[in-house]
Amino acid sequence: MRERSVRLRLRALVACAALLVSAGCGGGGQAGGGGGPILIGTSLPLTGQFSQPGGEARRGYEIWRDRVNAAGGLLGRQVDLRVTDDASNQDTIIADYTKLITQDKVDLLLGSFSSLLNYAASAVAERNQMLFVEPAGAAPNMFTRGFKMLFFAQPATAPHHADGVTEWVKSLPEAQRPRTAAFITQDDPFTRPVIESLQRQLEAAGLRTVHSTVYPANTTNFQPIVSAAVAESPDLFAQGAQFEDGIGAVRALRQVGFSPKVFFQTNAPGNGNQYSDGVGKDATEGVLYSTSWSEAAKTPVNAEFAQEYRKRFNGPPTEDAADAFAAGQVLQEAVTKVGRIDQVALADWLRANEVPTILGPLRWAANGEPQSSYMVAQWQNGKVEVVSPKPAATTDRIVFPKPAWP
Amino acid sequence: MTQAVQTVALGVLIGGVYALMAAGLTLVFGIMGIVNVAQGAFLVLVAMLTWKAWQVTGIDPILLALATTPLMFGVGWVLYRLVVVRVRASSPAMSMLLTFGIALTIEGLLNVTAGNYFRSATPPYFAQSFTIGSVVLPKAQVYGFLAALLVLGLLYLVLNRTWTGRAIRATAQNPSGAALVGISASTVAALSFAIGAATAGTGGSILAVLYPFFPASHYDWIAKLLGIIVLGGMGSLRGAWVGALILGLAETITATYGSPRWSTVVFYAVILLVLIVRPHGLFGTRLREDAVA
Repeated sequence: MRERSVRLRLRALVACAALLVSAGCGGGGQAGGGGGPILIGTSLPLTGQFSQPGGEARRGYEIWRDRVNAAGGLLGRQVDLRVTDDASNQDTIIADYTKLITQDKVDLLLGSFSSLLNYAASAVAERNQMLFVEPAGAAPNMFTRGFKMLFFAQPATAPHHADGVTEWVKSLPEAQRPRTAAFITQDDPFTRPVIESLQRQLEAAGLRTVHSTVYPANTTNFQPIVSAAVAESPDLFAQGAQFEDGIGAVRALRQVGFSPKVFFQTNAPGNGNQYSDGVGKDATEGVLYSTSWSEAAKTPVNAEFAQEYRKRFNGPPTEDAADAFAAGQVLQEAVTKVGRIDQVALADWLRANEVPTILGPLRWAANGEPQSSYMVAQWQNGKVEVVSPKPAATTDRIVFPKPAWP
Repeated sequence: MTQAVQTVALGVLIGGVYALMAAGLTLVFGIMGIVNVAQGAFLVLVAMLTWKAWQVTGIDPILLALATTPLMFGVGWVLYRLVVVRVRASSPAMSMLLTFGIALTIEGLLNVTAGNYFRSATPPYFAQSFTIGSVVLPKAQVYGFLAALLVLGLLYLVLNRTWTGRAIRATAQNPSGAALVGISASTVAALSFAIGAATAGTGGSILAVLYPFFPASHYDWIAKLLGIIVLGGMGSLRGAWVGALILGLAETITATYGSPRWSTVVFYAVILLVLIVRPHGLFGTRLREDAVA
């Protein structure tokens, strides 16, 4: 306990010092031009709570950087990526981006992972008038601050994450449609709005909510939470899960022997083998989730990205790495089309244009909020299939109702 | 009624496992005045080793505690002799920094060697339950609870029925008195640090089956364990038991009858109330220097 508060105090001190330094320097990220490499700075959660997505984001950025450099660089200059580690801490990430902008004088920025960290980091970028393309950070309150330099490089914000699921439920014949629903979600700035919005949409579509609850991020014990939900025998069970909580809930559902007709989770099922190993190999059948990316999707450069990832890291590519790669693509397109590094001009260009990425085409509202839609994916026969929207779908079949747990 | 029995049963099962994990922490504090912040990292380290061994050999993860427990005893002994002994005479802050350093080292090594992935051992029974009437008891939790009970029982016997145990308790109660009658303080300290680590051996193997983990999971665990021993009284084994049961019950009861959002708050609110009435926790002992302060 004490060691924690000491660490916190230390971090606060560092952050304050960094702020003072930046104020003293008068802010300003005027990077020198010239023919040297273009320096791109980012701070990622390489250690601590978000180290898993943070590490994946780094992989995505690095694949993007090497691809750009192999093709001759940006504006004819090689790209140099500077990655610092913010230890999943909001204070540290503020200090990191401040240093990248004011001392390292980076030419461009790329965002970090999780809404929590990007919320703080994007404010530093905005204050310094630096373009901030973030690969994660879907929480709705990211976009209510009137920022002009923030762009979220995924198809939509959290409240629209599960729109595809509602569409699919509505498309079912009246007689088959689920009638009751239970919603549980982690108290997380991303998963909570996804589930709350899904609940509103499904209620509007005529489903009755029989249970809804929010649990704290550090919850490990899922039996009581799941037991309370299944006491109402919901037809549809939706969970706003990051990862461990998604595994924990499936285990608890299996332990109490309850299998809903429709089972939807955010994030967790998108983790490939880690998910199927955690819930049990044969227990994934019929699990639905919404995702920004799928390896199977036929978007430009996607196959090359996936192939490169498999070659380098000897495993299946992840959504987090793909999102980071896409953020790189967005930055690249803007710089190439504008033809120079002028932060405000880049932001103006992004507001007015559509960018093709491996996640599909992205376009933005004035506040940097993306305007496309997510894919709905489902585990079928031990594999992930995209089931909607139609152009991205890899199969026509949707497993429904979900078979009982093995 | 069923729901009440179910809730309490789940709380007790999980509380038993928490108790084992916290026992090592409270023992080391009681005897050496060292808060071993690395206890959580020990747990995650063992969970990772257990997971790997289970993957390769297919031996039941909880049975693997038979190997990981003596292994961690050895690790604890060596760590004490090589590193921890150097800060024995320094302020508590030094030992906390040191053990925090050990925790970060373990996290870093796991990151590099095992990778930053979530793992969890899934033996055939991991998603099955015993059903008694309409009360559901998950098998993994029951086996974990029994293993924890067994190790805690052994620990109790060692501390109360053997000469070594008496030496350890004597040192905890009065170090200079113990030294006067010929108990080697350094041996006792090494022994208790090793026993503390050994409890993380069993605890970690159980953890591998009960929860997904990854290298940075140890922060969550050490926070939980510290809460338990502060509530029970730092240094008291009985306190660790009671603290762990209160945490287990607070988690399940609040999640069932209130909202899971409150479960953490309720537990810390209990700690706060207890500390107001009993500043040394439920079973903590007042020391002579506390009376002066």
